[in-house]
Amino acid sequence: MVEKFPYGKAPFWLLAIALASVAGRWLVMGHGDARADLLIVANSPSHFEAYKNAVPRFERKHGVHVEVQFAHWTALQSRLESAMLAGADVPDLVELLEGSLGFFTRGPREDVGLLDLADRVEAEGFDRRLVASRLSSWSTVDGRIYALPNDVHPVMLAYRRDLVAQLGIDVTKLDTWDAFVEAGRRVTRDVDGDGVVDHYMIDLPYDGNWALTSLLLQHGGQLFDRAGNIAFNSDITTEVFAWYLRQTHGPRKIAYDAGWGQALGKAMVDGLVVFYWAPDWRSRFFADEVPSLAGHMALMPLPAWDKGGRRTSVWGGTGLMISRRTPRPDLAWELAKFLYFDPTEMGKRFEATNIIPVLRDAWTMPELDAPNPYYSNEPIGRMYADLAPDVPPSYVSPLTAVAGTELDEAFSRCVSYYERFGEEGLTDAIHRELSRAEAYVQRLAERANWMARAP
Amino acid sequence: MSSPLSAPSAAPASRPRPSRAPAGVRVRPQERGWAPYAFLSPYLLLTSVFFFVPFLDAIGLAFFETNGPRTRVFVGLANFHFLFTDSTFYRALWNTTVFACASVFVQLPLSMGLAILLNSSKGRLRGMLRLVLFSPNLVGQIFVGILFSTLFTPRYGLINRAFHALFGWGLEVWWLSNPWLVMPALVLTSLWVWVGFNMVYFLAALQGVDRSLEEAARIDGASEWQVFRFVTLPSMRHVTVFVVVTSVIGSYQLFELPLALLHSTEGAGPENSGLTLITYLNNVAFHLGDLGLGSAVGWIAALIIFFVSMIQIRVSRVLED
Amino acid sequence: MNPTRLVVFAALAVFAALCARSPGRTLIYLRFLLLGLAATVVLAPFAWLLAAIFKDRTVFDEYLFLPPPAEWSSRTLNLDNFRELFRGRPSVHGTAYFWQYVLNSTAYATVSTVLNLFFCSLAGFALAKYDFRGKAALLVLMLGSMTIPSALLLPPLYNMVVDLGMVDSLTGLIVPGMVSAYGIFLFRQACMSVPDEMLDAGRIDGCSEIAIYFRLVMPLVRPMAAAFCLMTFLGTWNSFFTPNVFLQTQKNFTLPIVLYMYVNDYQSNYGVFLAGTALAMLPPMVLFLALEKEFISGLTSGAVKG
Repeated sequence: MVEKFPYGKAPFWLLAIALASVAGRWLVMGHGDARADLLIVANSPSHFEAYKNAVPRFERKHGVHVEVQFAHWTALQSRLESAMLAGADVPDLVELLEGSLGFFTRGPREDVGLLDLADRVEAEGFDRRLVASRLSSWSTVDGRIYALPNDVHPVMLAYRRDLVAQLGIDVTKLDTWDAFVEAGRRVTRDVDGDGVVDHYMIDLPYDGNWALTSLLLQHGGQLFDRAGNIAFNSDITTEVFAWYLRQTHGPRKIAYDAGWGQALGKAMVDGLVVFYWAPDWRSRFFADEVPSLAGHMALMPLPAWDKGGRRTSVWGGTGLMISRRTPRPDLAWELAKFLYFDPTEMGKRFEATNIIPVLRDAWTMPELDAPNPYYSNEPIGRMYADLAPDVPPSYVSPLTAVAGTELDEAFSRCVSYYERFGEEGLTDAIHRELSRAEAYVQRLAERANWMARAP
Repeated sequence: MSSPLSAPSAAPASRPRPSRAPAGVRVRPQERGWAPYAFLSPYLLLTSVFFFVPFLDAIGLAFFETNGPRTRVFVGLANFHFLFTDSTFYRALWNTTVFACASVFVQLPLSMGLAILLNSSKGRLRGMLRLVLFSPNLVGQIFVGILFSTLFTPRYGLINRAFHALFGWGLEVWWLSNPWLVMPALVLTSLWVWVGFNMVYFLAALQGVDRSLEEAARIDGASEWQVFRFVTLPSMRHVTVFVVVTSVIGSYQLFELPLALLHSTEGAGPENSGLTLITYLNNVAFHLGDLGLGSAVGWIAALIIFFVSMIQIRVSRVLED
Repeated sequence: MNPTRLVVFAALAVFAALCARSPGRTLIYLRFLLLGLAATVVLAPFAWLLAAIFKDRTVFDEYLFLPPPAEWSSRTLNLDNFRELFRGRPSVHGTAYFWQYVLNSTAYATVSTVLNLFFCSLAGFALAKYDFRGKAALLVLMLGSMTIPSALLLPPLYNMVVDLGMVDSLTGLIVPGMVSAYGIFLFRQACMSVPDEMLDAGRIDGCSEIAIYFRLVMPLVRPMAAAFCLMTFLGTWNSFFTPNVFLQTQKNFTLPIVLYMYVNDYQSNYGVFLAGTALAMLPPMVLFLALEKEFISGLTSGAVKG
């Protein structure tokens, strides 16, 4: 039979394989499991575990079947958007990363595949019950709220208490960055004369990255303002840039880039760096990765930019969005509230991750006052919760990603300038780079036909 | 190969005879009637739906800004204006052109050289070597990019280790993080993939060269190099032009290889040093959802390809005379 | 003096010795040397890949290729990479397994190839052996269509596929690509060398046109059919751009898409995606080995005779 096939042997077998594989696909794919009532996708392994453990209680209470899945953010973002635009099947709830909302809201309102939660949030009073500034990351300029914030992530400084005592630093006096830098300059030097600096005051990445943004937000700067206009070309940004350049690249720098992972752990244990940027989630990270320092670490609020100013900032965040085409929006809303605001869940989450709830009502929970042995028995939950109302907002725009990239590039150029010319003409150089970045983003803003405008 | 006349037949009387053609008279091809149209109809139908309609749509799409497949707004020439003022677009254009030049001036001589070397080899060895040298082309560009992204790893990757073992340096070269080394890395990878491919074409052309002409030239006293330059090469004209044109056209469509090689930056590389025209199109059209801007980029790419092909065909005609 | 330098010096020494012995054959030895070098450079990545997929991740960076035989044990060489590759991973639509992607790729590549074979050979035969009104114009149009880069047509084609509801399915991938002008030209070339007398004899015998196609012409162009099948299979099996754009949900992904995803997922465990890459390279290699001769002649027939 093979020989009589007009096209020959190879095509014959290809045809046979084609038929077999199509049949195989139909058999395998055609009979999937019955679709769950709700499908939720988490983008971090820890959230995935937490939700998987929490969901059975919800299922029992509502008599439904909920499926929890995990997907890497890098793969998820672009595919989710094109699936929503193309009308393909989309999960009911998806966790989004901080700053990514703009990507999904760049088009006209009809194209936004996320359910507008503003009515529900207001009806149930969440705009008052949550730390209000956190809603800014998940709202658009026209007043729609597209995701529920998961967290607050206030930032403190974690430090080696024994080192601080040994070096004669009084942390209660470090209430401004000026005081901090002054103390830092005393500390950051070569003590034993081997030509290598023994202690650096603070861990900051040399290329700016997350720390630059965090400091900028603390100082009241923004990438975009509440009305969606470009806001990063400002005196505040210039001041933050200059300050950061001096502390990381200047002749009297006080910062060292300890990186992540093993390198960071080593820096902490060796005492190479004294102070570390510590949002609530990172405080747990230190405890898990460097257990040998248990009892020697402590936390303090950030020094303020101006006396009496804001003593915390923010770093990172997650939000939960509900798909506009979900067949059961009310049930999805209940699940979102359950996973994010249920008291038992929030208590468990704090104990597992040090992350404090974004719901103010929950700050009465006793877990927050528990002394934390790693951080010298300080009640770190309470400390973070006290700072939480001051956490700065972070307004988001469809151009957030581009602005972030341009700002990084502007900073990198400023580093080159600073290394060549130092303080001379630095302010002007920074202005130039920020203006260039602003112009680039402005071009894109002018192109964007559907960017929601402030009413 | 058996003649149909010898095929076993059922009762001959029951077979209908074509009424217009007496036995022994050749039937004119014009009288085939519906057959060619029927045979071509699948192609015609599919092409008109899935080629011509998108083609016409593409003409218009470039003047719109879209958000995905359903929403669009007319913006006139704004897309083109944006492209011509976008430094990233110019970078992509530059990178792609550099790569095209490298593939013509680096890759093709290598392919030609290997073809010449292989041409003098005996049958079995030639067959085997041809198979070996051609094999990288079987692997998809994506897979090659994935494989080579691990080979270019500093310190532990194959390439750095080979350099270090042979020459004593190069262990810590950061190929894919250094903006100046990204294009060389890309070119090296493309050499691995395509030198064997083009070599096959040159080899076939070499084997089609008239030996008697070469012999005549040698008898006339020409050196090997002169024989090659004045007899062999000109008779390979067609293939050479074909290979150059396809190489350039392929270079301007380069996308999957840099995407996989520079996967950590989604094909762009540090400071956009690996960004190609089609990667730019992909980012704009399918990441950001602006299919209109993507169409505009596509048109510019098509025009460049058309232009370059025309130049090369012209040049080949000039060479012919 | 490490082993690599040792090998290189030895080769050069042998070369020098041979040249010294018979200077007339220097060019021949040089040729072998250069070809050997080329073959080594081409095969080295493959050899590395083959070794890498069996190495345990703990010793992955220690040895360039395989550990020395003395160190061979299940600690250093094992199938863990494959185990991890085939392990079910949670995805948005339930647990996803690697063999599902293999099935997707196989279905896409083979169905595309078979359909292309039928439609292109049919049209090529028509263009080779028939005269009809508009034939010249059609040929010119077809030639012109081949100069349009596919990236230009992808955005509007994507729009169309979404509107037809075929997005995120293999149908949407296969149908727009069911026939290609390049393939038609190849078959036209091949069919033109079929003698007209044979076709006439068939018609006199009472064969219908379609029967002539199937029973007379196609068996004669089997080499080209084989070459074309390989070409099309390679193109669709390895294709990434269009499937990546059209397919949205993970259960429909083909191998190139999945492995590109895995490169980012397994940054600390190269062996896994390398194992997947090696597996994905197998079917084209196998098919190529079976059809090498036909492929080479088919590939070059368009260029050399042109």
